[in-house]
Amino acid sequence: MKVTIIAAAAALFFLTEVYAVENIQSDERRGTAGADRTRAVALESGAQMKAYRVNPKGGGNLFNPAITLVLDFIYMDTNLSDEEYDAREIPGYRTLHDADGHGHGGFEEGFNLRGAELTLSAPVDPYFNLYATLTGTEEETVVEEASFVTTSLPAGLQVKGGKFRSAFGRFNAFHQHAWNFVDAPLPYRAFLGEEGLVEKGVQVTYLPDLPVYTLLGLEVLEGESEVLFGEEAESGAHAFTAFVKASSDFGEAGTLLAGFSVAGGRTKNGSIEHGSEFTGDSTLYGAEVTYKWKRSRRRSLLLQAEYLLRHQSGDYVEDAALPTAARRLERTQDGLYLQALYRTGRWGIGARYEVLDLFRDDFMEAGMKRDFGDRPERITAALEYRPTEFSRMRLQYNHDETARDGVDREVFFQFVFAIGAHGAHPF
Amino acid sequence: MKRRVLLWMILFLLLSAPASAGLNVVATLPWIGSIAREIGGDRVRVRVLVRPTQDAHYVEARPSMILAARRADLLMYNGLDLEAGYLPVLVESSRNPRIQPGMPGDVDCSRFVEVLQGDAATGRADRSMGDIHPLGNPHYHLSPKNIARVARGMADSLSAVDPGNRDLYMANLAAFERKLSQKLKQWSGAGLEGGRFVAYHRFFEYLAAEFGFHIVGYIEEKPGIPPSAAHIQEVMERMKEDGVTKILTTVYQVGREGRYVSERTGAELVVLPHDVGSMKGVDDWFGLIDRILEVLKGGTGGGR
Repeated sequence: MKVTIIAAAAALFFLTEVYAVENIQSDERRGTAGADRTRAVALESGAQMKAYRVNPKGGGNLFNPAITLVLDFIYMDTNLSDEEYDAREIPGYRTLHDADGHGHGGFEEGFNLRGAELTLSAPVDPYFNLYATLTGTEEETVVEEASFVTTSLPAGLQVKGGKFRSAFGRFNAFHQHAWNFVDAPLPYRAFLGEEGLVEKGVQVTYLPDLPVYTLLGLEVLEGESEVLFGEEAESGAHAFTAFVKASSDFGEAGTLLAGFSVAGGRTKNGSIEHGSEFTGDSTLYGAEVTYKWKRSRRRSLLLQAEYLLRHQSGDYVEDAALPTAARRLERTQDGLYLQALYRTGRWGIGARYEVLDLFRDDFMEAGMKRDFGDRPERITAALEYRPTEFSRMRLQYNHDETARDGVDREVFFQFVFAIGAHGAHPF
Repeated sequence: MKRRVLLWMILFLLLSAPASAGLNVVATLPWIGSIAREIGGDRVRVRVLVRPTQDAHYVEARPSMILAARRADLLMYNGLDLEAGYLPVLVESSRNPRIQPGMPGDVDCSRFVEVLQGDAATGRADRSMGDIHPLGNPHYHLSPKNIARVARGMADSLSAVDPGNRDLYMANLAAFERKLSQKLKQWSGAGLEGGRFVAYHRFFEYLAAEFGFHIVGYIEEKPGIPPSAAHIQEVMERMKEDGVTKILTTVYQVGREGRYVSERTGAELVVLPHDVGSMKGVDDWFGLIDRILEVLKGGTGGGR
């Protein structure tokens, strides 16, 4: 454990030193002196003048889509044994395990290739833009996102369709590599799973011409998100979201963004306990607030908080393999995360606090309240080094008290690299 | 409940009705706004997105910018990928068909200019070379020759969107051109020909080409990447060889490297305004060039 932290810190230090020293390049201009210098300088500038020509833009290669590849590579270490780590769950919330048996964000002790994410985008025609993100892990390549966006609808309307990251909440719309910490915040993990709400469906948004930025949106979704809805609740689209977001600037450098979201739908899944089955309805409410302060390229501050509240009601069978009668389940649970990220030059420091059961932890099974023990909590600290916009290294420590059995101390060392087209960043 | 939602929607639609006559012009950079005001006159309301003190290479989209783009009749920008980090997302999120690529309201000012190749000339372009601009040097706003072309392009673009006021835009253009030719006469006496400078970034190439001075070295080894010690040493040697006494920087680029070179070589660190509004008294594009030439001639320093 300690060894990993020291090794990671040493590696980070080493890398920064390498960047500071950089390669020494010699220049063949050397060797002239005195009056020859004047001539040499004039010649150089003459060459510059010759380069003056009409803007070459508008060539034929613009029909190629913009291509970006992002590599997300992580080293993880924990004080828990493999068995303890894989069996770890959030009692009363979810015990769903990934297909490969990792219940905990999908990480394994040691090196992890979280993904090589390939994004293609281009205008289809004057009316649509197309985006596709293919994420490759060692086992498989999945279409994480493939969607069209309209560009030419009137009155501030826009339609998005295909498979996409829902605009529910603040955190959900961001791709993994763009997160401010290695892993998803606790409320998202508990209510939506590590992947978040990524669904097939259609989204309509409306940006009215008001004095203040206000975005209204509705989504009709297939409702397959494993943790919230399950895959077999109903055939046909059976989930929806609605959201409103507003933003205003404060001074030259500050921007505030706040929003409310709701997601709901029919649910049938086994994420509550191993072998269980729940059939019913789920509703997830979200409130978000983000404040960004960016004085210059060098200094910025990000403060972000989100509160999620989930209500589920329906029939619950504790062991679906046995012919037991279904019992009424009614649960209302909530969670919050607060995070801060300060950047100066190439360095950034981040801190995050996450908690579940903040105001509500009602888990009523057949009218009886079940108690799952202590309030799940987690505290995270991160150190970030970004040599350029296209590379990022991050050292992160999680102090995880989400399970009954002890504390999980996790250390991550993450590398994210992007090549290809310069992606434009959303706010 | 549903009825209330519907009422709210109707209220929003009513409020979002177009406000008043005149064109909304959204300009990314202050100098673009300055020229647009000259050509558009009273017919345009200009909103500039990037703050004058900000480094145009590192701007992030803000929702308020999206809202401004939502209302724009014309979106005027520098082009040559200078705005690649935020403009595409802004244009798509604006939900405004008038400013989508290829529409008359999409005004890429680099379309009108002659581009100094710079990085494009080397033939090779990848990110190991830093934050280069493979389409050519994007800082053409310090070139009077190019600004004349941009002004004409803006007059044409405004006329295309608002044909009824074509005469007005052309008259404003004529007035601008008269003022420019007067200024050119005044500027031609700057006496900078043959001067040698060192700069931090490849920012003053157009100015050098048009006023006949030379930039013999750059403190920045690769664009956007802090220089190595070896490179700084090399630049200082070059300065000694060429008798360079001034280092050109902009407000946002005055860093410890520039100060270090200045201290070690005794050369003056000259802080120039990089755009309209970046220093007191630099209120329009003419004022920007006036101030830069004044400082280069006099060496009085930038004065904040």
